[in-house]
Amino acid sequence: MVDSVTPLKEAIDAIFESGGKSIELCYQCGLCNTVCPWNLVKDFMVRKVVREARFGVSEIEGEGIWQCAACGNCVARCPRGVKIIDVVVALRKIASEYNILPKTIRVARGSLSGEGNPWGGRREERGNWADGLPVKSFTENTEFLYFPCCTQIYDHRTRKIAVATANILKKAGVDFGIIGPEEVCCGESIRKAGDEDLFKKLAKENIKTFIEKGVRKIIVSSPHCYQVFKNEYPEFMVSFEIIHISQLLIQLVNQGKLKFVKEYGKKVTYHDPCFLGRHNGICDAPREVLSRIPGLDLVEMANSYRDSLCCGGGGARIWMETPKGERFSDLRLGQALEAGASELATFCPYCILNFEDSRLGLEDSNVIEIRDVTEIIQDVI
Amino acid sequence: MIVGGGISGIQASLDLANSGFKVYLVDKSPAIGGHMAQFDKVFPTNDCSMCIESPKFIECDRHPNIEILTYAEVNRVEGEVGNFKVTLTKKPRYIIENKCRGCGTCMQYCPISIGDTYNENLSSTKAIHIYFSQAVPLLAYIDPGTCLYFRDKKCTICAGVCENKAIDFHQKEENLEIEVGAIILAPGYEVFDPLLRPEYGYGKMKNVVTSLEFERILNADGPYRGEVVRPSDGKHPKKVAWIQCVGSRQVIPGGHSYCSAVCCMYAIKQTILAKEHESNLEATIFHNDVRTYGKEFEQFYRRAKSLPGVRFMRSYVSIGREISGSNNVTVKYSANGSVKEEEFDLVVLSVGLTPPKEREKLAAKFGIDLNAHGFCQSNSFNLMETSRPGIFVSGAFGGPKDIPESVVTGSSGAVLCGEILSGRRGKLAREKEYPPERDISAEEPRVGVFVCHCGTNIGSVIDVPSVAQYASTLENVVHTEEVLFACSADSVKHIAETIREKGLNRVVVAACTPRTHEPLFQDTLREAGINKYVFVMANIREHSSWVHSREKKKATQKANDKIRMSVARAIKLRPLKEIELPVNKKGLVVGGGVAGMTSALNLAKQGFEVHLLEKNKDLGGITRRIHYTLEGKDVQVYLNDLIHSVYINPLIHVYTGSSVIESSGYVGNFATKVMHHGKEKRIQHGTTIVATGAEEHKPDQYLYGKNDNVLTLLELEESIVRGDEKIINSESLAIILCVGSREDNRPYCSRVCCGQAIKSALRLKEINPGMDIYIFYRDIRTYSFKEDYYREATGKGVVFIRYDLDEKPLVEAVKGNNGQILNITVTDPVLEKKVVIEADALALATAVVPSAQSEEISRLFKVPLSQDGFFLEAHMKLRPVDSATEGVFLCGTAHFPKHIDEAAGQAYAAAGRACTILAQNTIKSSGAICEINEVNCSGCGLCIKACQYGAVDLQETPDGRKARVTPAVCQGCGACASVCPTAAISINHFDDSQIMAEIDSAYSPTVKKGQFEPKILAFLCNWCGYAGSDMAGVSRMQYAPNAREIRVMCSSRVHPKFIMEAFLQKIDGILVCGCHLGDCHYMKANEQTDKMVNITKKTLEKIGINPERLRQEYISAAEGAKYAEAVNNFTRYLTKLGPVQINEEQERKLIEYKLKKLQKKK
Repeated sequence: MVDSVTPLKEAIDAIFESGGKSIELCYQCGLCNTVCPWNLVKDFMVRKVVREARFGVSEIEGEGIWQCAACGNCVARCPRGVKIIDVVVALRKIASEYNILPKTIRVARGSLSGEGNPWGGRREERGNWADGLPVKSFTENTEFLYFPCCTQIYDHRTRKIAVATANILKKAGVDFGIIGPEEVCCGESIRKAGDEDLFKKLAKENIKTFIEKGVRKIIVSSPHCYQVFKNEYPEFMVSFEIIHISQLLIQLVNQGKLKFVKEYGKKVTYHDPCFLGRHNGICDAPREVLSRIPGLDLVEMANSYRDSLCCGGGGARIWMETPKGERFSDLRLGQALEAGASELATFCPYCILNFEDSRLGLEDSNVIEIRDVTEIIQDVI
Repeated sequence: MIVGGGISGIQASLDLANSGFKVYLVDKSPAIGGHMAQFDKVFPTNDCSMCIESPKFIECDRHPNIEILTYAEVNRVEGEVGNFKVTLTKKPRYIIENKCRGCGTCMQYCPISIGDTYNENLSSTKAIHIYFSQAVPLLAYIDPGTCLYFRDKKCTICAGVCENKAIDFHQKEENLEIEVGAIILAPGYEVFDPLLRPEYGYGKMKNVVTSLEFERILNADGPYRGEVVRPSDGKHPKKVAWIQCVGSRQVIPGGHSYCSAVCCMYAIKQTILAKEHESNLEATIFHNDVRTYGKEFEQFYRRAKSLPGVRFMRSYVSIGREISGSNNVTVKYSANGSVKEEEFDLVVLSVGLTPPKEREKLAAKFGIDLNAHGFCQSNSFNLMETSRPGIFVSGAFGGPKDIPESVVTGSSGAVLCGEILSGRRGKLAREKEYPPERDISAEEPRVGVFVCHCGTNIGSVIDVPSVAQYASTLENVVHTEEVLFACSADSVKHIAETIREKGLNRVVVAACTPRTHEPLFQDTLREAGINKYVFVMANIREHSSWVHSREKKKATQKANDKIRMSVARAIKLRPLKEIELPVNKKGLVVGGGVAGMTSALNLAKQGFEVHLLEKNKDLGGITRRIHYTLEGKDVQVYLNDLIHSVYINPLIHVYTGSSVIESSGYVGNFATKVMHHGKEKRIQHGTTIVATGAEEHKPDQYLYGKNDNVLTLLELEESIVRGDEKIINSESLAIILCVGSREDNRPYCSRVCCGQAIKSALRLKEINPGMDIYIFYRDIRTYSFKEDYYREATGKGVVFIRYDLDEKPLVEAVKGNNGQILNITVTDPVLEKKVVIEADALALATAVVPSAQSEEISRLFKVPLSQDGFFLEAHMKLRPVDSATEGVFLCGTAHFPKHIDEAAGQAYAAAGRACTILAQNTIKSSGAICEINEVNCSGCGLCIKACQYGAVDLQETPDGRKARVTPAVCQGCGACASVCPTAAISINHFDDSQIMAEIDSAYSPTVKKGQFEPKILAFLCNWCGYAGSDMAGVSRMQYAPNAREIRVMCSSRVHPKFIMEAFLQKIDGILVCGCHLGDCHYMKANEQTDKMVNITKKTLEKIGINPERLRQEYISAAEGAKYAEAVNNFTRYLTKLGPVQINEEQERKLIEYKLKKLQKKK
């Protein structure tokens, strides 16, 4: 016996008000299901999530609404223009209001409110990663602000990316500085987790700092920072020039300011981070940079460019535990090995964290290396 | 000027030319035909596309008032309506058009292979080539991009082999300036390029093809010769997936938001055809809504669904991966709460239709507006009117549409040109002048035989001089001559001179197929002053040199035989008169709704008097109840304007409150009795347009009639317009679609309801944005641009819930907070839960049903009804507004449910078709029709049953009841003659003596020694069997030289006595080839062939002749291979069986059966 439901008007209104109004447009074709990476590991019916929302009968207590990694595959392909990530975020907002949150999100939220980062690191230590490096503090006369991701600041593995980046920028003679304790997390992931208030608080804090410091151009390492600075901060009526490190690198190479002088005789595959490739269309710059490295053999995986396979870290899932067997990053490493690569290169600290985890889960974790492109470049300049 | 030579442009050209205008038909391609020429079959009849389109090419080509300009593009249009000056550029073909004979020799020798665009690059052709075998004009052209001459000036092989010296490498672009009064734009569409959406895997995976490519794969003349194989390895695919809506119904970059309107149907068609090729093929169609909204479409869908191994899966899909090794492709789809990944051998992308790439340029050149989708912007109540007066649009450039709708808009566009140019009708049109005809009735037959070399096409295989020598020995032959190209302008002139000089009174041209060239030579005979019916073509090219090229001796022998048969036939031919009948230049329109009024008004504007009958007391029909369109236009303003225009037009006589009592007559001369205000009135008219409309079905379900809050969709509209507060202040309102449609007892889709429901929902949302609106549907069928309104409705909060026929919504009246409400329960297929909707009101989108009077009208005007009860057109695809009765036309919802603009469009088309008759002073009927000998007629009436056209009836005479034929109605198929038990019916031009003469002379009486060679006689119907044999020729398929062909117009003409005669002539086997059942060009006449063959087989058994010596084959015009195989198989079979042995006893019986029925009478 199937139970019967009646559309819940109040719930529908709440979802619409929280940004999910585009669910109205859905004509239930089911394409979203077929492109959602979750269905590579277990059944997950995106269409049903959308349909339930349309009738106001979503289950906000369950795991369902927390699955989405915001990879954007479904949004990119939805023939009807349903902004499915926004729908999911709307549901999370409602869950957030009822305080029905996964525990890990709660932890990250606490840390963000208190210390301005989700990793429980101390705010004062925000600039510590650059200790001993020739990195100056940003002043009004500095051309670029370099804004590393919180991960790069507090996690020892991805900190190497920040270090590599600083070294490269220095070598290329780029005039850049960092802010340190006065900046906070960009807020991308907490917004996806549905905590709009906290996001706004973080964003305003950053904006205030940036304006006070006279920031005009910002270099970011993380596609997530890029996404939120470039596409979401303008909601606060500000406009900074945001440049992803991959874009800057190819400019520097083309201008002759950065020269690759050493051979890098490895077979490398490039993984497009969702927020760099699919969400922001930056697919060619990273490949162009890699292809300029002498000796580097660039191979493609089955899913590439805008069709890339998500590592599983977007949509606040970087803070959540994904059980073994359900990790997209495991599948992605499989693809990299199938392509014959001995190294997987990418441009995103979240991806690096997930892939490193997956690598350790391999029978022989030495078959492949995970590197940020900046780390490779650091080796060849 | 018609710009675009696809089916729509062709129809417009023919209609205009036939109603007295000079037409320039311009096409940028090297040949006319458009996309339709690429299709294999057409839905829902599965007619062979080329078979039905190519006769139209020839009609255009031969028409004195049509000038075809191919390979030409318009540069500029200056001036205004009535006086346009059009500048065009004709691209160089590098071929001198009046020298090229289209023989194709150059193609054989050209060393450069290039992709064949006609076959969607799935096969190759040469740098010099003819666009496709049936191309009109049949001329070669050189692709300068690949031709070696244009690269380094070295290769001139083609110029060397061309016997006609037709190659001219120095040809330049040519500019033309033409003055015209009106223009029809029919540039057609392009198919969506799937490379724009890389996720489909097209271009990367070999076994992902577009539907147009698959169309060519299916085609007998396609890249794989009609074998359904896949591109990667040439293997037969066993599992094929069709993916719907590729490039359509999507708002993502590269896609189009509109529905392409035709893909559901063509995919279903392709499924059925693929299953016909390979019966155990598994076909899956991945779709969202299935949009089978046209006439007979839903039934077609049902038929496909019932085939074993055919699955319709409601899910859009994503392409997974290509499997290495097999090159199979995986497809991921949603089903039952999970995503499945399945492997297919071949994936067909149902690509949508897009406006031409050059649309912007086109719009600028012609000074017309485009709509948001890049199609031509047209007037909301007149789909053919563009933003520039005097320029009309037809076909898919006005929006995605199928063939019949393209034909309809072609006819409509034509008639709108006619409306503005009516004063100039006939001024430029010309008719050819001929010398007076010589009376040859008393002359002895004097036969002239001209044997054509066709360059080397015939001459390189057949020993032409010896054949000519042989012909000269035949009885009554007084002149024989060899010619290089019989059809060249100088040869034709020479033939005419020879006829006059030598006093010839019968002419045989031994060359190619009569299907293309007979009209030319018949014309030559008229020019020479003799009757055109004393001409015979011996087809020694398609039937011999091209198909027996490896057996030169036998090919030559066959040529001798064919000429002997032709001469024997020629001797028996008689001059025939084409009857000319005066035309009454008045039109009758039955039905005063939008369609009827539009037709009447258009005829009147063209200067014809019209009688308009309406059964109700007011004009307007069902449109009186419709107030606005989905697009938001005010219908009543339009309707009142229309009614006003009708009333004030002095040429229109309106009879409201009238009914038809009786109608008689034939095309050009009808008489109809009408009861009007209690008085009987007799109206004489030349044509009739039936526009009797349709009605709204009143349901007996969902509490209709039992609960005041349940109404029909039209009632809802009236309530909205009235401002009925109960409705517009509803908190919640529901609409159920498909009420009484798409069910077993009424299987068709009513087409308009989805759009109408969305229209009302949008209007209600506008009035009362807070209202909750729920629409319960089975498939949303907002085809073409209507799709945008579907999306708009969802975006405005209308909730769509799908239900299945086996679980219809449950409607219950319950008590709500503020009085009675309705509870509607249905299972939502995505939630997999029952959803209960509370509604204050419920509207039912009930079926559109035929008007109550249609059966009577059908009987009175002899227009048959389809199974659904709507009026049946003469041909679903190409004659969508003609009825089976000549001179009677159909339009509006009497034909099938349709929207107002569509009904009006069809009304123009009906008027246009009527105009082609009314514009003539007289009409000619063919001479090749039946003639009844009243002395022999026993009045049994069998012929009346056999006749599909009602051309025969019984008449009381002093000698009893006798059959009588109305010559203007007879189509000459011969079905009546074959059932006549007393041989009282003779078919002129295909009479018994003529056919017997061919049978008797098919094989030379000299007994040959050596190995047994079976002798086969093949009766081929003109339209399919013969065309199929021509196709075998054009495709150079080699088969056994053992058949001698006899052409008949329809296979139903084959009388058992011909078969008896053939056996008496010791012919070993008889093959009868006709169209596939359902494809017959004479409606259902070929079903009679079936019966005849079965009865004759039984007779043969009685006589003691193996009945297997008589064979019947269904062969379409595209099935050259099938014909070749049929002859080969039969030859093999007969070789094994040995020669036919007829003993004296059997001979006696054969003669008895041959004459039997006639004797009975005596």
